[in-house]
Amino acid sequence: MKNILPPTAMSRRGFLALTGAVSLTASISACAAGGAGNASAGGGGTIKFWDMPWGNQDYLGAAQGLTQAYKPGDGLPGASYQQVNWDGFNQTFSSAIASNTGPAVSTGGGFQAFQFAKQGAIAYADNLIDSFKKDGTYDDFLPHTLDAMKTSDGYVGIPWNLDVQVLWYRKSILDQIGATPPQSWDDVLDVAKKASAKGYVGFGISGGSGNYGPMAVLSLMINNGGGLFNSNGDLDIVNDRNAEAVDFLTELVKQGLVDPGSVSMKDDDLTTLWTNKKVALGFQSPAFNNVVGDEKDVLVTDPLKSHRGEVGGLYYVNNIMMYKNTPSQAGSEAFTSYYIKNMKTLWQKGVMQGLPALKSITEIPEFKANAQNTAVVEKWQPICKTTAAQSSALTAKLATIDGGQAMTDFCQTVLAGKTPSKTILTKLESDIKAAIS
Amino acid sequence: MSTSVRRTELPLTVRTPTHEPLNRRRRSTPGRAPATKLFLILPSVVILILTNAYPIAYAAFQALHNGSLISPGEFVGVDNFAKVLADPAFWRAAGFTAVFAVAGVFGSWIIGIAIALLLRTRIPAKGLLKTILLLPWVVPIVVSAMSWNWLIGTSSSPVPTIFHALGFGDAIFLSDPLGAQITVCLFEIWVNFPFMMLMMSAALSSVDESIYEAAKIDGAGAWQQFRYMTLPIIAKPTYISWVLMAIFCVNDFPTVYLLTHGGPVGATNTLVVLAYKTVFQNFQTGPGVAIAFLMTLALAIVAVLLFRQIRKSTSQ
Repeated sequence: MKNILPPTAMSRRGFLALTGAVSLTASISACAAGGAGNASAGGGGTIKFWDMPWGNQDYLGAAQGLTQAYKPGDGLPGASYQQVNWDGFNQTFSSAIASNTGPAVSTGGGFQAFQFAKQGAIAYADNLIDSFKKDGTYDDFLPHTLDAMKTSDGYVGIPWNLDVQVLWYRKSILDQIGATPPQSWDDVLDVAKKASAKGYVGFGISGGSGNYGPMAVLSLMINNGGGLFNSNGDLDIVNDRNAEAVDFLTELVKQGLVDPGSVSMKDDDLTTLWTNKKVALGFQSPAFNNVVGDEKDVLVTDPLKSHRGEVGGLYYVNNIMMYKNTPSQAGSEAFTSYYIKNMKTLWQKGVMQGLPALKSITEIPEFKANAQNTAVVEKWQPICKTTAAQSSALTAKLATIDGGQAMTDFCQTVLAGKTPSKTILTKLESDIKAAIS
Repeated sequence: MSTSVRRTELPLTVRTPTHEPLNRRRRSTPGRAPATKLFLILPSVVILILTNAYPIAYAAFQALHNGSLISPGEFVGVDNFAKVLADPAFWRAAGFTAVFAVAGVFGSWIIGIAIALLLRTRIPAKGLLKTILLLPWVVPIVVSAMSWNWLIGTSSSPVPTIFHALGFGDAIFLSDPLGAQITVCLFEIWVNFPFMMLMMSAALSSVDESIYEAAKIDGAGAWQQFRYMTLPIIAKPTYISWVLMAIFCVNDFPTVYLLTHGGPVGATNTLVVLAYKTVFQNFQTGPGVAIAFLMTLALAIVAVLLFRQIRKSTSQ
């Protein structure tokens, strides 16, 4: 039968050009950077400060207010504030910095400063550290936090808050099932079993988008004296300590003590479950009881003892970093110094989730008003290690690991509960090697 | 990784007929000197170069280097391509991309043409029905993905709750690799069938009803009319819609990323999602861009094959 429709006016070459244009533009251009240029630093003479959402819904206003209150010294530029979402933040920063439209100063991922320092975009903070030594601020930092920022080339950033992964429990659920806060992995199993029997999620963990799932798994590995690296800084993943931690989680999964949708659960969905009083136990950041709006019922346990009787946990030293692309390095340092010395207001207003990196802020009444904060500072922070555990050297490769695909796949495989621990750990080691090679 | 092309490339089937062979070049317009024409198209060419050619050229540069988005790094030749091709994750993603595209193209086409045929019959509230059917395509993909997540994302979502109540156990579709793959494909079909419905409606609207009356007199049943009359008549717009949909599906980043982030354990990684993750999560710009180039090559081959089919149907 003859086609009665008119033939298209598009030539073959034209059509292929269209195909090429569509596919190339959509996929390749999105991955390509704008190339190296010499555009002047963003902000038109102001210090562009990019910040992440570090607290509750009032955080944005408080951080913006703190930035706007900055009065620069003679000849120094003022500062502008912009918040960046966690979702896709690596892309946001990388693209902006590549096109010279990035910030002059920013907060960001725990290892972001190391990553961008390796790529030559970070302005080292040694001058600022020297000034802190002179005015006494240096001694106000919590132990080991400044050391965590030091590389052979200098300080890549200034610590300002700590994200400590601690175990939280909902007191009303534990009261209902007649349980006390767990102090060991065996206790966790016992409490989670009893809570699940009553229809609650015994152990809350989210393996979908977000980073809380991988952080929880890593917390347990470090808790058992394991981690991703040995003391020499070499990858050391396939070992008995890590296997025991994975086996412990697998046991929770197999006994139905985690939500059946944990593999794909998003962090926000898990927070909603906590808010709806459905979860008995789980790892979360400090001030999580503020996040779920239940200061009296959501409480911090003591650090857990693993099967080996060890204690330990995971924490992140979040930092403020300065970039070479700035209208004034002196201006960047002046603003960063101002922000560190005045950030106390964020904890006074109760908008922060992390712990302050300054001891003096941990002493203020507003911080101590949430008794769980004190518990985290006194009981958890001293026994925690970074993602680099069992090494202490933070490097750019941790930026690839933290929040990267290898850790996400690892966590999801563990939560599927079907693969032997050594097999999972071998795959993780292989994936991380490939990612950081 | 834009998908805006979905809304802009519809009218291929309703262009002015030329009735000239597809491979024949157009002749110069009389009365215009070549220099004038060059001058007139120059602004478009410049814009095209700035917006397309430069990023593509820079991407090619990056694919041959081991740098990052910020620093170019060292020239490594085709090492990035070799590395990508040796990576099992690439082939898994390529396999799922093929499944995803085939399911997206033919799933949405089957539903689209079925509805288009239905809409040719006398049914009440046809206009309202058309508007409702267009909604999945009109609603922003972010909203659609959030809605689907709300419906199926957790064990307490409505759909798993209903499945559980009916005795199917814990039906957490996105937690199971196969379940997540099926869900993502269904979502793609759901988002795109209105496009196919529009394309097929446009194609069917130009079919003369009288040929069916003649066929009926000759004793042809409904299936025979569809198989031996309707399908051959709309063959060309069908192939074109397949090509366009294949491009949409292969380049579709938000559908997969918003629903599953490529998980669980990479089960729903498509090539475009893998390229994104390689560049922005693993910070391996060269291999990531290499994936994008390989994907484009595969897409071009598919487009050529389908285009040959279009020529074939035109010449018949």
